[in-house]
Amino acid sequence: MSSGRRGRISDDEINELISKLQALLPESSRRRNASRSSASKLLKETCAYIKSLHQEVDDLSERLSGLMSTMDNDSPQAEIIRSLLR
Amino acid sequence: MRGPNTKAFQQGFLKNMILSLQACSEFCISSSASGGAAMMSLQQRKYAIKSSADIAMATARGRGARWPQAVLASSSSPSRRLSKPSSSPGKKKNTRVCKKIVRRCLHTWRRSRGGTGGASSLARTRTAMICSREIARRLVRKRTKVLRKMIPGGELLDEISLLHEAVDYVAHLHAQVDVLRRISNAVQRG
Repeated sequence: MSSGRRGRISDDEINELISKLQALLPESSRRRNASRSSASKLLKETCAYIKSLHQEVDDLSERLSGLMSTMDNDSPQAEIIRSLLR
Repeated sequence: MRGPNTKAFQQGFLKNMILSLQACSEFCISSSASGGAAMMSLQQRKYAIKSSADIAMATARGRGARWPQAVLASSSSPSRRLSKPSSSPGKKKNTRVCKKIVRRCLHTWRRSRGGTGGASSLARTRTAMICSREIARRLVRKRTKVLRKMIPGGELLDEISLLHEAVDYVAHLHAQVDVLRRISNAVQRG
């Protein structure tokens, strides 16, 4: 992907990007945005969503950190790998 | 492009994640067994997990987007923090300013016209429309700035590339959350 995009960008490409982004955002914001998807609203939703995902990673890391303190070296690890790659 | 729904990405991510978690727990166990350095604190381990999750995600994504390089670059520097944009106080201020602008525009127009007449109402609407378009433009600019801070490497991108990156990054963050959740559940069960 080129780092700088100068020159004409087609409306179709922009619309495609916007709809892709909206498809990723949670369901509730999509319903509200159905009729008037203003650019600033979309940006706001995206920022809020990324922030909440970062927070979720943070919480999960904390949870995993607590769980790992009680883990011993052998069997749980093999079980984890097996169950995840199933 | 390795999207997050492809098996290759998920397995790559999982593998990287598990390897780093194993290394992390082995370090904890060996250091506590030898009685040498104190065991990692909860916060230290959490930070290690989070870093390895980000590195695993960036490594598995590979080329085809900008944010993986930015993530890897920032993770190699000691002071690594996911920047939290202080968007809320800024946005509240912005809304207040916008409302002030609209009110001022309407008020000025009304005053200059003596505040009567049907013809002036059309002109008033037009003024309000122009003001709101300008406000919308300013809002978009402000929020784009916020988005740049949230996406690794976003500061250097133009707006279209930023949107592409946002789509890619959000999709992969989804996958990261998903994998972390699965690992946590598996560890809890095991």
